[in-house]
Amino acid sequence: MIERSALHPAFILHRRPFSNTSLLIECFSLSHGRFPAVAKGAIRGSSASAGLLQPFQPLLIRWSGRGEVKTLNFYEAAAPNMTLQGQVLYCGFYLNELLVRLLQREDPHEQLFGLYGSTLTKLSQGKSVEPVLRRFEIELLDQLGFGLVLDRNVEDGSPLVPKQRYHYQIERGPVPCSNTDPSGFSGATLIGLRDDQPLDRASQTEARTLTRYVLRYYLGDRPLKSRELFRASREK
Amino acid sequence: MAAKSLLDQLMEALRCLPGVGPRSAQRMAFYLLERNREGGLHLSRVLADAMQRIGRCERCRTLSETELCTLCASPRRNSNQICVVETPAEVTALEQATNYEGRYFVLGGRLSPLDGIGPREIGLDRLEKLLLEGAVEELILATNPTVEGEATAHYIGEIARVKGIKVTRIAHGVPLGGELEYVDGGTLLHAFAGRREY
Repeated sequence: MIERSALHPAFILHRRPFSNTSLLIECFSLSHGRFPAVAKGAIRGSSASAGLLQPFQPLLIRWSGRGEVKTLNFYEAAAPNMTLQGQVLYCGFYLNELLVRLLQREDPHEQLFGLYGSTLTKLSQGKSVEPVLRRFEIELLDQLGFGLVLDRNVEDGSPLVPKQRYHYQIERGPVPCSNTDPSGFSGATLIGLRDDQPLDRASQTEARTLTRYVLRYYLGDRPLKSRELFRASREK
Repeated sequence: MAAKSLLDQLMEALRCLPGVGPRSAQRMAFYLLERNREGGLHLSRVLADAMQRIGRCERCRTLSETELCTLCASPRRNSNQICVVETPAEVTALEQATNYEGRYFVLGGRLSPLDGIGPREIGLDRLEKLLLEGAVEELILATNPTVEGEATAHYIGEIARVKGIKVTRIAHGVPLGGELEYVDGGTLLHAFAGRREY
């Protein structure tokens, strides 16, 4: 049961206009996970608080309601908005899309909430984007119970060898493959990902291919829309 | 079940308007039938006409009943400047409030991956073609100061910058007649960062 008076830390993952002046928002809260809510009158005129109900703004919120869609009763900023700009903003959309697609509603993930917040902070500080995204993807999968096996060869349980190349079998783990197989991943990449070490350029590309491959399995056939933004900006 | 009476159908149809619930729909229907049949007939004719004939301008994608909207067809408008907005309503708002003399481009939305709206859905391929024609010198980004609006602005800005076109963004700041004390932090931050020599 929700305590009536308590304020809960939350982010908004998505918002869309609803009836005349309201917003239908998708909240991601520390204590109650992801759920939809209606913010009544949130876009009326030049309401000073309307700017707050946006993605990437750390909020404190209070809501009520028993049905699936809650009513947002109160909200205030918990911290200044994470200023994500340009490319980094696309990354933010990517994180949100992953959460909306992979998280069950009303399934609290306190650690994931912390991870999301710290990932946004890192992005807003202008850190190199790729390693931050990889860490998020890997920990997200971990938290959801789909964690990658990155410490052993699942065929015989032996530790990974940096020079060896491996195939990654989904829901199973790395199995050795021939060193010339282009669809394999180097042991060094897998070990680097496990230990959260900086990766060299080739390994970064490999790591991206790996997480993308695994995520595609859990996301199903519908591709992630936010990737289109990256793709197009790379083409230019 | 008996077929719905015409009166019921009318009330139900009126409810497709924003902000009209069953109660107001009933009032409108009775008003038109009892007090103002002529107005009702006129409305029905114009409504049918407008729904069938108003399409999108080929150049700027705003609502228009001709192939080119009046703004795009006007020889007096300056085609060196293009102002990018999200909706046709914003074209009207800008036209009424400013003395801008360039042309517009209406996106009809904003980049929002979670709604399935990507670059293609908001007609950016057409905007790119427009920029390639070469007459454009300045692209004014007038998308809304929301997260999605910013992403859209950035995305379009990149396209234009590659083509060597000057890109400007409308200013965000304290509303006229507003008081700093009551302005939200984000706006104030923008206003402060974007201060100008005075």
